[in-house]
Amino acid sequence: MDDIQKLRNIGISAHIDSGKTTLTERILYYTQRIFAIHEVKGKDGVGAKMDSMELEKERGITISSAATHCEWDDHKINVIDTPGHVDFTIEVERSLRVLDGSILVLCAVGGVQSQSMTVDRQMNRYRVPRLAFVNKCDRSGANPYRVVNQLRERLNHNAVLMQIPVGLEGDFSGVVDLVSMKAVYFDGEYGEIVRTEEIPSPLLDEANARREELLDAASMFSDALTEAILEERVSEGLISQAVRKGSLLRQLTPVFIGSAYKNIGVQPLLDAVNQYLPSPTEVENFALNLDQGQAEVKLSSNPDDPLVALAFKLEVTRYGQLTHLRIYQGSIGKGDDLINVRDRKKIKVGRLVRMHADEMEDITRAVAGDIVALFGVDCFSGDTFTDGRLNYSMSSIFVPEPVISLTISPADHKSQTNVSKALNRFVKEDPTFRSHVDQESGETIISGMGELHLEIYVERMKREFGADVMTGIPQVAYREAISRRAEFDYLHKKQTGGSGQYGRVGGYMEPSDDNVYEFVNQVKGGAIPTEFMPAVDKAFQSCLKEGLLIGFPVLGMRVVVNDGQFHAVDSSERAFNYAAIGAFKQSYLKAKPVILEPVMKVSVECPSEFQGNVMASINQRRGLIVSSAEDGVFTTVEAEVPLAEMFGYATTLRSLTQGKAEFTMEFSRYSKAPAAVAEELKAEFRDRVKKGKK
Amino acid sequence: MKDFIKVSPLKVLEKSSQKGLGRGNLGVLMARAGVGKTACLIHIAFDKLFRKEKLVHVSLEDVPEKITSYYNVIFYDLVKALNIEDEHEVRMLFERNRMILAYLQQSFEIKRLRENLKNLVEKIDFVPDALIVDGLDFEKAERNVFEGFKEIAEQFRVEMWFSARTHRHITDVNERGIPYPCHELDDLFNIIIQLQPTQSGIVLKLLKDHGVEVSPEASVKLDPNTFLVMSE
Repeated sequence: MDDIQKLRNIGISAHIDSGKTTLTERILYYTQRIFAIHEVKGKDGVGAKMDSMELEKERGITISSAATHCEWDDHKINVIDTPGHVDFTIEVERSLRVLDGSILVLCAVGGVQSQSMTVDRQMNRYRVPRLAFVNKCDRSGANPYRVVNQLRERLNHNAVLMQIPVGLEGDFSGVVDLVSMKAVYFDGEYGEIVRTEEIPSPLLDEANARREELLDAASMFSDALTEAILEERVSEGLISQAVRKGSLLRQLTPVFIGSAYKNIGVQPLLDAVNQYLPSPTEVENFALNLDQGQAEVKLSSNPDDPLVALAFKLEVTRYGQLTHLRIYQGSIGKGDDLINVRDRKKIKVGRLVRMHADEMEDITRAVAGDIVALFGVDCFSGDTFTDGRLNYSMSSIFVPEPVISLTISPADHKSQTNVSKALNRFVKEDPTFRSHVDQESGETIISGMGELHLEIYVERMKREFGADVMTGIPQVAYREAISRRAEFDYLHKKQTGGSGQYGRVGGYMEPSDDNVYEFVNQVKGGAIPTEFMPAVDKAFQSCLKEGLLIGFPVLGMRVVVNDGQFHAVDSSERAFNYAAIGAFKQSYLKAKPVILEPVMKVSVECPSEFQGNVMASINQRRGLIVSSAEDGVFTTVEAEVPLAEMFGYATTLRSLTQGKAEFTMEFSRYSKAPAAVAEELKAEFRDRVKKGKK
Repeated sequence: MKDFIKVSPLKVLEKSSQKGLGRGNLGVLMARAGVGKTACLIHIAFDKLFRKEKLVHVSLEDVPEKITSYYNVIFYDLVKALNIEDEHEVRMLFERNRMILAYLQQSFEIKRLRENLKNLVEKIDFVPDALIVDGLDFEKAERNVFEGFKEIAEQFRVEMWFSARTHRHITDVNERGIPYPCHELDDLFNIIIQLQPTQSGIVLKLLKDHGVEVSPEASVKLDPNTFLVMSE
């Protein structure tokens, strides 16, 4: 357990361009995981270590959550490079899930920007304790004091400076540590030599004043520190313990400053990670017990308990699939048998590796709290692994149905094979992403949870797989459903020439309560022989795949067959199949089908001054605003909006709020489409059918 | 929904001089912790919603999800108690006519409420008829906050219902019979109702009735499970 106490799983989150990749690179350098430094947008073409995807290298941003391991001062640190962009929801959710703590990187010039707010709110959602690092203090216009105020005012953080700068902008040369009251400088080509000096006298008053602020804030979390302050016997240990307590409770945010690019302030930040962020044992993690109706169970982080591990990311390497795992409880050794809880398949741990961006180190054993990777394991992202003793899942098994589709076609011959490779990969990574080939048109159709969701995959196809694709217009996944009971009585009879066909099916269809298809056989006296009933059932089910109103799938209904007729010679499964199809066509429109449209639960977070504009924008989109909640600086507007109206909303929202708002949406329910929308869809369907016939 | 209106806690106001609170006025439900102030307020909300009025629920304590689930639980009870058949339509109706405004982490300010109501009216054409204000700490809030609410009630022509917590150990009562913590604010409220738990149910007792003398019979008894008026 001692080892776990000295383990940190941290993320580095920030606004794009605040320098988090450079910071990560410096962390890897000082922890001796790499021996040279490359810049994100470096001229040497090598790029920073954490950016393993081409797209990221090109843009200088980080999308993928590659994990890397390093060691600092007898502590092991797993760094998960979290995506900073709100669009990459699945990635964000997964990477935040496995973090125990985080460094929030802020630009000393730009301060708390809209995206800093976004990532900070995500951290709040996942209750991740964090440190702030005010980067780029060497830049013109840098002002870490202003950034601390913004942290307090805009993000509601109880932020407290742990350091003050020695010089600023071009003169930025080091930091004053307010705990030890020493000035710290960073010498050598890459700042690797840490030199401690007395505080320069011009800074002494400022340092004393800021230390008072620090003591005031920290003493809120420690009676011992309060007493020590009164008795004037404050020690470094007492301050650190109090700050640690406040930080773990997420009621205090220690702020560090520096310039990763100029190699200033990174080593003290690493000290702070060890000192002020939690070990895996200090964080509560829960799984769902599948044997007890998905009841929530707390995991122990004990390496001797039964294993529970989560596959949080998959990566394709030239050697095969690499599966990143976070072990929550128990341990994994090379050669162990693991059970994938989703499909109960057993897998053998062949190679167990610790990741260092896209390089790896073979290990023989990993324990609770650790983040490692397995080689050659066929699984999906989000799968839970156990050693077979527990039937726990780290995430809900429920996967929402996609609500939007897009046709894609390869732009050239070379792209054709790459498209299928890419699709295979994405489907495994993301359970909400689907792909299929339309039987009629032969087109490849991808489906997902929103416009941006699909756009990202189209972009990734191009960048990662060299697959250039052309896309169609996004298509909403409408549904049809009957609204009343309708009788049917259909005779299929073909008795002229060749072998005859004869079958009559009578009964009714009616809406089902929970939209589940139900087939009820109430035929008495052998009017339809039992052996033909499965064909009748199957025929009705096949009809549900394409409704007669707009050609979209029909949500479940109850079909009751209570009468029929057969012919001793001419009746067959095929004949009853045709009869049932005829019965469906005969009664479906009589059952007054309606068109259902997917309605999304939309949540918009914006600075409070934009609440009115945001509400108006939702209202214009046929949205129903449910609530608006303010928490000081921010307002969250919750609404239900038809998906069809959400196309292009990201752009609208950006321009309405100066880019300061973000929104998320998820499928809520199907709802009857208004008459005007339904008429339009019916007209489109009629056109399509006409064209098809021509 | 005629049945509900007959058994709604607001039936107590039939015994008031003006048969109701009235637009531009403030009303308050007073009770000790745990008696059911919020449940009673939500019943008042349903009374308004079932009359197809538009309602804003202002919460100073709970997140919207919690308030929504509170409404759902009470609605579920009402469906059972009143044999509501067109449950889906009724639910759609009240969801369309209800708006939740939550102010968390002490972020409530009168000027924000005024601004938010203005946005509702101007930006989405949601013109409220009534406001429910839950979670306001009557002991800490200054008089000017209540004056601010009164101004808003008048400006937006809404009736506004509050809940106030009383304490067993604080027995202060003003000369007009209004107990702590409303004893110094009663001039701002037109209707003051006290909820008193008894062995056979919860008694809603009218303490203030638009400045006229309160009739001694001005009370109704509620079923402690459904918060609906018990038949006499």
